[in-house]
Amino acid sequence: MAIHKSYQEINEKIRKGEAVVLTAEEVSEMGKTLSPAELAGKVDVVTTATFGPMCSSGMFINTGHASPPIRMERATLNGVPVFTGIAAVDLYIGATENHPEDPAYGGAHVIEELISGRDVELEAHAKGTDCYPLKNIHTTINRENINEMIMFNPRNAYQNYPVAVNTSGKIKYTYMGSLLPRLGNANYSTSGELSPLLNDPGLRTVGIGTRIFLGGTTGYVSWYGTQYRSDAELNEFGVPVANAATLAVIGDASKMSPSFIKAAYFEKYGVTMFVGIGIPIPVLDEEMAARVMIRNEQITTKILDYGDPAHPELGRVSYDQLMKGEIELNGKKIRATSLSSLYKAREIAGLLKQQVQEGSFLLTEPVESFPKGKGLNSLELR
Amino acid sequence: MKRRLVLRFPAETVNEPITYNLIKEYDVLVNILNAEITHGKEGNLLIEMSGREDNVNEALVYLESRHVEISPVVKTILFSEMQCIHCGACASVCFPGALEMEPGTRMLQFTPEKCVACELCIKACPLQLFELNFGVN
Repeated sequence: MAIHKSYQEINEKIRKGEAVVLTAEEVSEMGKTLSPAELAGKVDVVTTATFGPMCSSGMFINTGHASPPIRMERATLNGVPVFTGIAAVDLYIGATENHPEDPAYGGAHVIEELISGRDVELEAHAKGTDCYPLKNIHTTINRENINEMIMFNPRNAYQNYPVAVNTSGKIKYTYMGSLLPRLGNANYSTSGELSPLLNDPGLRTVGIGTRIFLGGTTGYVSWYGTQYRSDAELNEFGVPVANAATLAVIGDASKMSPSFIKAAYFEKYGVTMFVGIGIPIPVLDEEMAARVMIRNEQITTKILDYGDPAHPELGRVSYDQLMKGEIELNGKKIRATSLSSLYKAREIAGLLKQQVQEGSFLLTEPVESFPKGKGLNSLELR
Repeated sequence: MKRRLVLRFPAETVNEPITYNLIKEYDVLVNILNAEITHGKEGNLLIEMSGREDNVNEALVYLESRHVEISPVVKTILFSEMQCIHCGACASVCFPGALEMEPGTRMLQFTPEKCVACELCIKACPLQLFELNFGVN
């Protein structure tokens, strides 16, 4: 008889401590010898994770009001400009915002310092109004003395991402790391079979309201991410062969940990932030079992040439090849390395597995599913 | 024998073909791993010199006669391992293979003996955990 489990049934098992929980890597290994139907009968939840640089990230804070109050119009935190175009003392710290004099320090570093509980210098200016008379402030803030720290990342957890290489004669410093000339290296940035959206490529179980692991605490999927597309080309195993779906995520940064949110600087590119995300996938039936069983050799991605401004496609490769550390392109063997940390992703998948097993992390059915067949626009210059 | 050395050239010798003489007169192999030389100023050269022991020793005497300061390389790159997130950005550019991802654990492994101090990891590390220790001892 075909297996069908509801979210409620799976959560009931989790509450009783009876749910069978595996990481996506463990289930991929298990899937070598079991059919999807057999696997659906054995496993209830599969934990997935990723820990990579995700530029489209940031944090809202509310500093609390001074007396007399100020309506901040320009503000910096540790010298890094922050967005003030919202209410008086609400600020948004963009992860990639740069310190004007120090290109290697930016918003992500400020976020990491606040999460770590350190003091951060706040400077703000305003024209002064009848209700907000104060014009200038210079003080320090920290996690304890401000009201909220809400991480809201408009685009995280890319479903697949192309491999970057460089055929030009010069080293290219990119958000995909340092790309050595004449195909000197190949950089990729996903956790392959452990990656969240590669384990549910049709986004059946991940949607608005999905409870996730975000930066060391519980977070939620708030919307589909920017540049989300669900019309991307699929390979024979039903997985998009290039960047496709994305997630907008939200969580309480005051409970996050600097172990899972890490500021980063890519040479001659700028500041970005490593974000740790884990998503539990319920094995509702045979179809979901088949999805979570996916293995690195079944997940493919494009190889793009960053030596050419148009980033032309040079070929395709599986994550199995990439993770072996060497790929072949144009008859040349190229060292392949990841920019996202599989070590940290495994740590997150393991932690999440433990939380689900202990009953402290319950699964959520999406409040609403993400759009199907959504494409992507390019900017027309007219 | 093989020696890895940092040579510090005083300003007056920077324009002399010292490396050429080393190879030509003393029959040693000189592999330049890193160079910082500006005309008219002091310069630094990180080299690996290999050859017969007597030739290497004579070459060192020659260098001293030209007032080149010789220091053996103790460490080349300093790595703040505790803060590493094991992303692999440094391993990606490390052509001598001193920085590699361990295939099982996926943790970064640093083998200082293989390091040629090319400095690519310093720029590649997104957490800026590498520092060059051009100096010595």
